[in-house]
Amino acid sequence: MPPLARRLTRRLALTLFVLWGAATFAFAGMRLVPGDPARVIAGGVQANATPQVLDAIRAEYGLREPIVVQYALFLGRLLRADLGGSYQLGRPVSQVIGEQIGATLALAAGAAALGFGLAVALATLTAGRPRLRALSRAAEFCSISTPNFWIGILLLAAFSFHLGWFPVIGDDGPAELVLPCAALALPIAGVLAQVTREGLERALDQPFALTARARGATEHRIRVRHALRHAALPVLTLSGWVLGELLAGTVVVETVFARQGLGHVVVAAVRGRDFPVVTGVVVLSALTFSLINIVVDLLYGLADPRIGAAA
Amino acid sequence: MSVSDDTATQVDDEPAGRRGSLRSRRPAVVAAALVVAAAIVLVLVVTTGGRDEPSAGRAGAAGPVAGGTLTYALAGTQVSLDPAVAATAVTGLIDRNIFDSLVVQTGPATFGPWLATKWAVSGDGRTYTFTLRDGVTFHDGTPFTAEAVKATLDHVVDPATKSAYAASLIAPYEKSRVVDDHVVEVTLKRPFTPFLQALSVPYLGIQSPAALAKPVADYRPVGTGPFSYVSWEKDKRVTLSKNAAYASPPAGASHQGAAYLDGLVFEFVPEDATRYGALTSGQVQAIAGVPPVNAGRLRSLGGFDLTVQETPGLNYNLYLNQTRGPLKDVRVRRALSAAVNVAELVKNIYFGRFPVARNPLSRTTAAYDATAESELASYDLAAAERLLDEAGWKKGPGGYRVKDGRTLALTWPYWAEGNKEQRDVLAEGVQAQAKLAGIKIERPAVDTGAFVSKYLIGGEYDLVDVSFARPTPDVLRFAFASGNTYAKAGGNVALVDSPRIDTWVEEAAETSDPATAAKDYAAVQHEVLRQAYVLPLYTPVQLTAFSAKARGVAFDAQTYPVFHGVWLGA
Amino acid sequence: MSAVQDAAAGGPYEPAWAGLRKVGLPRPGVALAVAFFALVCLAAAFPGLFAHAPDRVDPALALRGPMKGHPLGTDQLGRDVLARLVFGARPSLLVGVGSTLLAGVAGAAWGLFSALGGRVAGEAAMRLADVLLSFPAVLMALLVVAVLGPGTRNAALAITVALAPGFARVVRAQALVVRGSPYVRAAVGLGLAPARILLRHIAPNVVAPLLILATVNVGTALIAGASLSFLGLGPRPPAPEWGAMLAQSRDYLDVSWTLALFPGAAITLTVLSATVAGRALQARYEGREVR
Repeated sequence: MPPLARRLTRRLALTLFVLWGAATFAFAGMRLVPGDPARVIAGGVQANATPQVLDAIRAEYGLREPIVVQYALFLGRLLRADLGGSYQLGRPVSQVIGEQIGATLALAAGAAALGFGLAVALATLTAGRPRLRALSRAAEFCSISTPNFWIGILLLAAFSFHLGWFPVIGDDGPAELVLPCAALALPIAGVLAQVTREGLERALDQPFALTARARGATEHRIRVRHALRHAALPVLTLSGWVLGELLAGTVVVETVFARQGLGHVVVAAVRGRDFPVVTGVVVLSALTFSLINIVVDLLYGLADPRIGAAA
Repeated sequence: MSVSDDTATQVDDEPAGRRGSLRSRRPAVVAAALVVAAAIVLVLVVTTGGRDEPSAGRAGAAGPVAGGTLTYALAGTQVSLDPAVAATAVTGLIDRNIFDSLVVQTGPATFGPWLATKWAVSGDGRTYTFTLRDGVTFHDGTPFTAEAVKATLDHVVDPATKSAYAASLIAPYEKSRVVDDHVVEVTLKRPFTPFLQALSVPYLGIQSPAALAKPVADYRPVGTGPFSYVSWEKDKRVTLSKNAAYASPPAGASHQGAAYLDGLVFEFVPEDATRYGALTSGQVQAIAGVPPVNAGRLRSLGGFDLTVQETPGLNYNLYLNQTRGPLKDVRVRRALSAAVNVAELVKNIYFGRFPVARNPLSRTTAAYDATAESELASYDLAAAERLLDEAGWKKGPGGYRVKDGRTLALTWPYWAEGNKEQRDVLAEGVQAQAKLAGIKIERPAVDTGAFVSKYLIGGEYDLVDVSFARPTPDVLRFAFASGNTYAKAGGNVALVDSPRIDTWVEEAAETSDPATAAKDYAAVQHEVLRQAYVLPLYTPVQLTAFSAKARGVAFDAQTYPVFHGVWLGA
Repeated sequence: MSAVQDAAAGGPYEPAWAGLRKVGLPRPGVALAVAFFALVCLAAAFPGLFAHAPDRVDPALALRGPMKGHPLGTDQLGRDVLARLVFGARPSLLVGVGSTLLAGVAGAAWGLFSALGGRVAGEAAMRLADVLLSFPAVLMALLVVAVLGPGTRNAALAITVALAPGFARVVRAQALVVRGSPYVRAAVGLGLAPARILLRHIAPNVVAPLLILATVNVGTALIAGASLSFLGLGPRPPAPEWGAMLAQSRDYLDVSWTLALFPGAAITLTVLSATVAGRALQARYEGREVR
């Protein structure tokens, strides 16, 4: 087997293993919970369900089967991409996720674009310029250290409540995306800018930069055309980390801005211990996370042939 | 939505700024700065220009105008749109617009005709005969007949419906008999005076028998009300549209015929501050639950009408589980009650918007007895300390009281999903003040499943807080009759087991003599305060705000806004 | 601390802070960061030194701005914000720093076991770490909270579970390097007891990178902890935890915006000081100049 294919197979096998682990962990969690899921399904506290109703629910959701049978049924359904029905929402989890994923993707994509854009702009402007760099580093350290929900609250207070520049609710238009994206992007941009600048500075020290300068290329042309490409590699390795940050960040930012989305759904599900939903979101994110990491890995191999050869 | 389109251009402009920086540094920086500045100015101009000026619409409008869509933002979510299934206030509020009821509540204890033009009660109080309105059709075209009334009531009590609340409202229901197309006879197992009140609430709104016949998964709410159901996006919004053929408003309605509004949207916005911001920024025309902290500012802003409605029924009360631990002792219960300065906490946390409660019943409820508060153990820290000393609880190290080696600790479960109106903040205040008297209050955070099974049913709590809105003194039976514990679908969370109280509330529910009922209900109010089964906190207030553009807003006996007569001015 | 330092000095790696001493006085920024972090730790250990009565309510004085007697103003129940911030250091650090320490210990054991345990068991332990690492950390933490339920202890455990595999991986890599080094082989050759080799020769050399990783991770853990309590899944009011205070302040943005300002600033400054100190340590250790 060629090394690339072998690597790919290993990674995919690991992904499957991860998914199985996630699902099993979630299932175990479902069973460890002291509360009775049937109560949650029945509509919680207000809908004070009678024992007959609870029994009907237990039968309907297979809660009366032995635990092993439930586990087998659960895995079987998972294999068919059937995530089951939400306890709290009374609907299939896949439907819930399908409805919410768009808003989250828009937010994450917007924040990623903003974060990378900001980082590249900052790094290009400040690399190799000690004074600007010191200033920018200070700002980067601050943004890395600021929790994104605090940024969100401050942005909301300033731009939505006091200045009224941006709408307070809603998730339909691009205007509603600006503040949440900014809150999500700033901490990420801080890290990315540092890594990008480091890469840029290394590249600018290399002979090709001198050659280009000697040929009369402008400083900006050298930075943007040549050096950035070299700095791209270390940034690429951070993609997995960025994705993790984005996934985690959407959970908090969606809560701050009262946006619809998977983060909102998963927080509500964790609070209400709606395990089918928690399982669904966790399995889905583990899958996305693994797949993106594989893609990054492959890209990395392509960009730097030494890695592929070494593995 | 012009606002959103223009801010989008600001985002798109940024890459352009960076492209400019390719040529040389200094001009690039200037260019980027210019682009950003221009974008900001653009956004400023457009957003300020495009913003609603609510007060501007006041001039020149004469009569009601038909058309337009009103968006009403509110907290809370719902599990089902079937009023018979769900019991949440949100469902009631929304379904009120879809469903008409047989009768309408017109005063604390008076009822008027709605879908029933008249009714008669048999001598033994067990049979109600309703004569129904003619010529009414459901949204799906099914004619409204006696069959629909029977189908609705049977649906409510059918165990397969999984109804808890609606069914409990008409617990003595036995059967309905269709006499002819427009006469229906309902038989109860025993006399039950609150029956008409129960029939007036949206949870017992009359549903189309054709819609009820469909499988549960395909359920759509179909009634005869002024608005018909369009769509429900879970946790997001419910959309209704005008029922152009509407001709069955309740007695006393200010507006006849179809609603003015074309559409009515209920937007779910759980965060208080966000909901408030949505109103002031003009994104929605009305909100429920204006945060008390913002009410003053809203008034000063102008362009908004704030309505304040005290909710009838049970106040927001703290119930003391009298069957467990230290609270078995009435002295400890009264000491807790005396240790907490409810008035000061409520006044400050709610900025004076919520009335301080001194009775389990709110003062807008029929049979409310103002003299009962003399029995309440009001705030008096010294008295609280004295009572605890008497009961044998001595101050120990750390400030908490101890007796026989046990600390005076009370469990008050915190169910986050049920939290609203800054009740968690109020609870923190209660905790801090109880501590001064040496009472430790613990608040374990619990999820719904555990809250119900371990605490409400399992009884492993000392304190539970709850409010319950329903405009009838019969709520006292719900909250204090020994047979109405939570496990039996009731609201007796203090686990009161008092034969005297049982006798009073049963007699009051069955008698047809208002004076007897009033006397009984007054006795209950005195007794529960004397025994300190309950510590009244505040009367929930519906702080509803409408943009001044929305006219003709009225409220029904349940304090729900009535959208039938609402219209949007310029 | 000193025991660790002595132990670390015995190996081929110098303790990182010795390096800092060598270059003379630390940069003012780093010094400031270390001082601030020490102050926060002091507040967490002895809050009584700085303030009193974080839960004394005075509803009549609610939601005031900074004033005499209340330098940072009061909150919705009239409690002193400064006192709450000071007393909030403990629950906040407990989740952030506590979970990092716990994760460091667990990760060290895990990594050492995987490097030095049997072939199969060691490999299995590392594959488990791989599985856990292929989860975004916060999702992992959310999943743990979903199982265990909310609360201070559970939030700390959740973050521990999320961080430990990272530590395990670093420790394993380091332990493998040390195991292959000549002096360990020599020790094995001399017939020293394996436990003695592990304790005397391998463990000390793993400590330095572990400590640095921990310092760098404290910031992440602090933010994760604050996020959990912001979402209502960590320490709960009336515990004056900073994330929980921020969550409550949202309801009063319109009236008292300083209420949202101070707890957020406390989190940010603490994380900032930990990050700056951690990066400085890391840079020294890796032999780079701190810029």
